[in-house]
Amino acid sequence: MASDPVIDDLPQAAVVPATRARFSAVWIIPVLAALVALGIAAQRILSEGPTITIIFKSADGIEAGKTFVKYKEVNIGQVTAVRLTDDLGRVEVTAKIAKSAAALMVDDAQFWVVRPRISLSGISGLSTLLSGDYIGFEAGASTTKARQFVGIEVPPIITGGAPGTQFRLSAGDLGSLGIGSPVYFRRLLVGQVIAYDLAPDGKSVVLRIFVNAPYDRYVTTNSRFWNASGVDISLTANGLDVRTQSLVSLLEGGIAFESPPQATAEMPAAADAAFTLHGDRANAMKQDESIATHYVLYFAETVRGLSVGAPVTFFGVPVGEVTDVGLTMNPATLDARPRVGIVVFPERVMASLPPAEEAKYRAAVQVSATRHALVRRMVEQRGLRAQLMTGSLVTGQRFVSLGYFPKAAKARLDWNVQVPELPTVISTLPEMEAKLSSIIGKLERVPLDAIGNDLKKTLGTLDQTLKDAGAVLNNFDAEVVPALKATLDDARGALGSAEKMLTSTEANIVGASAPGQLELRSAMSELARAARSLRVLADYLERHPEALIRGKTAEPPPR
Amino acid sequence: MTSGDAIGGMQAGLLSCHCCGLLSRPAAPAHPGQCPRCGERLEWRREHAIQRTWAFLIAAAILYVPANLLPVLTTNTLVSSQSDTIMSGIVFLYATGSWPLALIVLVASVMIPLGKIVALAFVLVSVQRRSAVNNRQRTRLYRTVEFIGRWSMLDVFVDTFVVALVQLSPLMAVDPGPGVVYFMGVVVLTMFAAQAFDPRLIWDAAASRKADRGV
Repeated sequence: MASDPVIDDLPQAAVVPATRARFSAVWIIPVLAALVALGIAAQRILSEGPTITIIFKSADGIEAGKTFVKYKEVNIGQVTAVRLTDDLGRVEVTAKIAKSAAALMVDDAQFWVVRPRISLSGISGLSTLLSGDYIGFEAGASTTKARQFVGIEVPPIITGGAPGTQFRLSAGDLGSLGIGSPVYFRRLLVGQVIAYDLAPDGKSVVLRIFVNAPYDRYVTTNSRFWNASGVDISLTANGLDVRTQSLVSLLEGGIAFESPPQATAEMPAAADAAFTLHGDRANAMKQDESIATHYVLYFAETVRGLSVGAPVTFFGVPVGEVTDVGLTMNPATLDARPRVGIVVFPERVMASLPPAEEAKYRAAVQVSATRHALVRRMVEQRGLRAQLMTGSLVTGQRFVSLGYFPKAAKARLDWNVQVPELPTVISTLPEMEAKLSSIIGKLERVPLDAIGNDLKKTLGTLDQTLKDAGAVLNNFDAEVVPALKATLDDARGALGSAEKMLTSTEANIVGASAPGQLELRSAMSELARAARSLRVLADYLERHPEALIRGKTAEPPPR
Repeated sequence: MTSGDAIGGMQAGLLSCHCCGLLSRPAAPAHPGQCPRCGERLEWRREHAIQRTWAFLIAAAILYVPANLLPVLTTNTLVSSQSDTIMSGIVFLYATGSWPLALIVLVASVMIPLGKIVALAFVLVSVQRRSAVNNRQRTRLYRTVEFIGRWSMLDVFVDTFVVALVQLSPLMAVDPGPGVVYFMGVVVLTMFAAQAFDPRLIWDAAASRKADRGV
């Protein structure tokens, strides 16, 4: 081969020392690739959060790969699978939780499905309208890790760590309140209803409200809560009372609270303190009456217009209210009388006193013996009586007024019966008295003295007039009487002429054959005929009134 | 006379330069030396061809895993954020009715890189086993792999285009995912692997067998 001249002519290659390694350096590349891949895998595995399962009643709105788990509106995981539980009764949602949130997965953590909620007071979960529902999460306090959870169906009370205080209210019914219903303080939105539930005995509703800081310190131990739902229109003896908080509460309902103005020593209420939710402001603001004295009143008149809850006033100051309106019957005489039960709160009387006096009397009123003696003295010595009064002339609402009637018949107050009877006076009597006294007052104002003086003057004038009249009469005798005699003679002559004239008249006009008489008779018969035809016409018109308009129509021949 | 029967340069004691194609005699059979014309280092066959091809191929195969597992695109809209891997993109395209597009992406992004890796591995194994059958087919396979390699970058191009165009922040934004880098690595490494291979090795087996038969 090497002897081939062509090949021998080919140039000889230069010699390079052998430095080649047995293995190519190119193997670095797959090693690097492997390292990178391992790095990714390691990072993935290390950053892998826990996979948890949550059991829900239904997977409404939950989609694998699209539904997120959010805590404080931050995505902490994603639903990876949704499947039915083994018993096919519920739904098991598998979610991958971010590593950063792995520590939150403790056994009392809560999961629920967040759906958009649109209410009049606002829209929450608006983003769920676009992104779909998501699974809400609330961290628990436990330290025990868990991977299996049971989702709750009702979102828990979420305050999101916002500063504020929760309180409990118990109410007879929920009214139009709901979760998110506003809580107002002096018409300022300060909180909301966060939960409600039926009391365990089913006899009331317990609402939990959250009052935001710093307003929560205005919730004091004396605070009164009332349902500010809608419009509170009450027609009472006090007149028409319309109260509302805001347009939102008008539509959606709400709760308002306030401390009664007379409340003293205000202490901020403790968290979770329980309050009563009153039906309306008036009820709420009523004081806690430690002393309530019941009386029964028997009226001798109608109690129409008096309703339960009508005020009882003492000189116009409300001191109590009507608790009962009914009748009482005396079986022996079958005599029925209206019976009105009232309750009087002596502390309200105290509250209306100036502070100095109030302090003085409040202690005295606390002791029932002193109080009873005081009231008895008022009734038996000063004439304290109950009376029906009309509060509003328009509505006819009535109320019970307590007042002093010193002239009223003596009455006794018997404290030994269970419900003492407070004597009453008929309500019309004082009205009549007032009218009479006003008449007397007017009479008193009449100037009788002046009238007497005037009368005396008038009588003097009359005397003078009578004297003048006597002079005139004397004058009459002397001058008029003779002239009168002559006149009478003349008159007699005149009468004779008149008699003659009447005789001739009889012959010409009145006599039977007088021409005037004949003419009169024919005129009379004409008149009779005219009257007859008028009657015929009237008869006809009566039967055919339309003839007045249409004229007489041809009458069909009588059958 | 089939191509298999031709006398190779190695049998004739000659070698050609990879760069300028000059046929020359080696300086010494073990160390052929440099090309007298262009100075390129002369090799009987591409140095460590099989080893280098395997290395690139293995690296490509490793990167193929994260390329397919990691998202290549992250679509951020106002309310949601969605990451798509190559496969989930194909599934999405298919599910929304664009099956021709899904097919193109499937072929270009999944089947071709995988096919290249498998094809090269097959060629390498057959060379190492000194297989002498279907030499032409294997050579054609190799040529196809080499030719088709560049088209696998389609996915990367689409990805970069979409990322560059869809930046309607905050309404919608598309961000590249880490998967695209690994995918690019797969494409580049398979191209390197194809280049590192010396198709003459396919024929060497046939020649050596013939020599073994004592021709």
